[in-house]
Amino acid sequence: MDPTLLTIADAAKLISKKKLSPVELVSACIAKTEKLEPTLNAYVTFTPDLALKAAKVAESEVMAGKVRSPMHGIPVGLKDIYDTAGTRTTGHSRLLKDRIPTEDAFTVAKLRESGAVITGKLGTFEFAIGGPSFDILSPPARNPWDPTRMTGGSSSGSGAAVAAGMVLGATGSDTGGSIRSPSSLCGLAGIKPTYGLLSRRGILPLSQTLDHAGPMCWTVEDAAIMLQGMAGYDALDPAAANVVVKDYTGQIGASVKGKTIGIIRHFYEEDHVAAPSVVAAMETAIDVFKSLGCIVKEITLPPLMDFAATGLIIMSSEAFSIHEKDLQATPELYGEIGRDRIMMGGLLTGGDYVQAMRQRRELCVAVADAMLGVDCLFTASSPFPAPEIDKVPKWLMYQKPSITMPFNVTGQPAMTVCAGYEEGSGLPLAFQLVGNAFDEPTLFQLGAAYEAVTSWRSVRPSLA
Amino acid sequence: MSEAISKEAFQALIDRAGLTLTPPQFDELRIAYGYLQAMRERVRKPRGYDAEPAHIFKPAER
Amino acid sequence: MSKTNIHDLTIAEAAPLIAAKKLSPVELTATYLKRIEAFDGALNAFIKVLPEAAMASARKAEAAIMKGEYKGPLHGVPIALKDIYNTKGIATTGHSALYKDHVPAEDAVTTALLAEAGTILLGKLSTWEFAIGGTSFDLPWPPAKNPWNPAHDPAGSSSGSGAAIGASLAMGTMGTDTGGSIRGPAAWCGIAGLKPTYGYVSRRGILPLSFSLDHGGPMCWTSEDCALMMDVLAKYDPIDPGSADVTKADFAASVKKDVKGLKIGVVRHFFEKDAEIDPEIKAGIEASLATFKDLGCEIIDVTIAPLSAYADVAALISRSEAFAFHEETLKASPELYGELARQRIMMGAFIRASDYVNALRERGVLIAQIAKVFETVDILVTPTMPTPAPKLGELGNMLSRARPSFTRPFNVTGSPALSICPGFTASGLPLNMQLIGRPFQDDLVLRLGSAFEKATAFRDTRPAQWAMPSSIAAE
Repeated sequence: MDPTLLTIADAAKLISKKKLSPVELVSACIAKTEKLEPTLNAYVTFTPDLALKAAKVAESEVMAGKVRSPMHGIPVGLKDIYDTAGTRTTGHSRLLKDRIPTEDAFTVAKLRESGAVITGKLGTFEFAIGGPSFDILSPPARNPWDPTRMTGGSSSGSGAAVAAGMVLGATGSDTGGSIRSPSSLCGLAGIKPTYGLLSRRGILPLSQTLDHAGPMCWTVEDAAIMLQGMAGYDALDPAAANVVVKDYTGQIGASVKGKTIGIIRHFYEEDHVAAPSVVAAMETAIDVFKSLGCIVKEITLPPLMDFAATGLIIMSSEAFSIHEKDLQATPELYGEIGRDRIMMGGLLTGGDYVQAMRQRRELCVAVADAMLGVDCLFTASSPFPAPEIDKVPKWLMYQKPSITMPFNVTGQPAMTVCAGYEEGSGLPLAFQLVGNAFDEPTLFQLGAAYEAVTSWRSVRPSLA
Repeated sequence: MSEAISKEAFQALIDRAGLTLTPPQFDELRIAYGYLQAMRERVRKPRGYDAEPAHIFKPAER
Repeated sequence: MSKTNIHDLTIAEAAPLIAAKKLSPVELTATYLKRIEAFDGALNAFIKVLPEAAMASARKAEAAIMKGEYKGPLHGVPIALKDIYNTKGIATTGHSALYKDHVPAEDAVTTALLAEAGTILLGKLSTWEFAIGGTSFDLPWPPAKNPWNPAHDPAGSSSGSGAAIGASLAMGTMGTDTGGSIRGPAAWCGIAGLKPTYGYVSRRGILPLSFSLDHGGPMCWTSEDCALMMDVLAKYDPIDPGSADVTKADFAASVKKDVKGLKIGVVRHFFEKDAEIDPEIKAGIEASLATFKDLGCEIIDVTIAPLSAYADVAALISRSEAFAFHEETLKASPELYGELARQRIMMGAFIRASDYVNALRERGVLIAQIAKVFETVDILVTPTMPTPAPKLGELGNMLSRARPSFTRPFNVTGSPALSICPGFTASGLPLNMQLIGRPFQDDLVLRLGSAFEKATAFRDTRPAQWAMPSSIAAE
């Protein structure tokens, strides 16, 4: 058995039965990282010594009969925009290459409390927007399914590390799709939870209105377990919602018969025409849900470009307000892609931003109306499988609307689930399940039911 | 898409943003601005005076 | 009761008489309509008077009361609305040529609440155009004038609301306040005007200027009357995205309570360092502090952010939002705007998105800071306006930065803020003072205002030139 390819759920069972030692598990992940990192560039800062130390503590706690949670002793990587006390947090940018926070981000502290073992800081698009870039602090992460391909972004290192079994889970952040895009392209389960569920305090911001933290794992159940470890009300995050943290794994395994799923076909068939392999995978997945007893109906939402324009204007405006001084003073410390994308926000007016915020409310109402009578929505997650790493147009998201951005605009929970592999290339394909606010349990229930009757989770990339 | 913004008008926007661009960067961003223009138009749907944003300031929720 | 004229009664004084069937809503309404007809030509407080409709609702109110169906302290009370409050079937113009034929299909939430409470709507009041452009002389209606001296400015934007109360042309009016538009006219017209806590009173159906800073609120002769209005106005509106779901205070009861032991913080740096004020205004504040002390309050000096910090944040937010609302019509028909509204709203076109975003972020900082100060005091005191009312036309096209505003900070923080009249200048114009409280403690602010008004004699003086006997039949 290769412990690095265990799910969190399985590893947790073995750990709690003292059949798997956290030290053994973490050591195996470290060994795998040392082997694959030169190819995959998943890490900005790898901290094996700290990880081993934490694993030893976890081991002695478990041996003493004190199991904190299913995350106890599980090796987890952090996107390098999550602050870590004493370990540099750079945003993958030369601008912050020596920045060492004195405090953990709220969610990082939560993960440590749950017993998770932090292995280090994972690569990202620069400041979660600029990438894949070769002119930033370190080279961009590569896709374990094919290292000539990109991982998707911005949580790129998180996508690569989890797919390759360098860690069992990783944190990502999602402002326009940055958890779901790499989850799609690397074949993972990744969830952007409801806006306000997870604290963003101590995470480098890109756009306060749209930023979300979330977990990326190999399976849906693992994502539920890890979300449980990150959730909790943070009074100091002004966007935090003071809601009861639900039991995210509780509904997993329950029958999904009779659940109604609204299919948003126009997103990937008309508004942003997806690759034929993606469209075909969507049909197959819909059939799987039907065979599980789900009721499927077609839903029409406003055009994707309305969501994209709203989201990009809000994101660009807020990103520029954060980076303005540094872009004026030291533009050369940014990579070209991040610099140019953020600079665009400087060309917008207050009126543009206000109009986008007004349109945002209209879009929220439109989606809420469409969700009446359905339990969740279904659409594609990425319009294409992983492209070659040096062939990603800089202005793609301006030209072709993102299929993930709509749910940053509305704040609803949205989860990416692997829908199989493209014939020939073997690259992962994926769909999104989108729920009502704070109804993550239903997404996990449906996603896990899908994974249980498909075989995709037993296939790992050759580089794992 | 709307017509490309003139070099002069674009320079004024860059100046107002307080940015310094290299000539190739200037040319590229000027083209990219066209995409942004289209989005600025797209968020300007006809709407009533009472159309407000979804999330606004509430003093009780500090 | 020493008063002999109906129109000198406050709402609090008239209500028990109406309830006891000693004062007829019909007679009361007829008195006010007569006064409007006699005096409004000199004041321009009204854009539209509704004599028939008012008399009809007065008769209805009277019949209901005679049947024993008394609704409460506002039943039968004649009021008027700033002409940006939507009134079903009645033009709501925003004092603008652009909206002169705008006839809403629905009442504003507050319009409906006041009607349900049994008030009598006398008419629609002058405002600065769209609550921003004034004092203007190039609009379809002339600007309102100051009731204490019509050669002077009543302030804006709720100019008609202030003038109507000052000259006893209504017992209560509604204003709106985005940067001081209730409190400024309350100050210069010598009345009480409350900008409630943001979210306490619904704004749905009121023409917006800047949704983040807009507030609707009452303007009356006394703080106690404002409290009676608030008992009707403060109601959660789930459709107003800024409305707060809070338990309403019992304003009528709260306003009568003792103020002994209240801690009052004087924001002295506002008027001694950050901006200059007229010496008579300053003397009025100092004298008022002595009165508060006599009432058993404790007075200390406090420091909050400098005036300019609030002014910049408020200007960036309000201009951006106002431009967003008016952009299309400003491009299509700029000629339908008066010069001042056009110029002020167009300023929004020059604000960058990041400036707006940063202003919203800075606002959070300012709110946190004032909350800290309110851990040590119950009420803040500042002037409302730096000077008494200038001559009409002198306000002109001043840039807002050149004119320090003591009112805007509390639109930024959302705090309840009340302007009251603590006396008069040597030339007989009202002095002013502002009382500010914690969020949703509007009742406490009104309590202090009312205690002050009852402990002093300033509420006994009404402007002399609008005399027209209207005897109280019951006395």
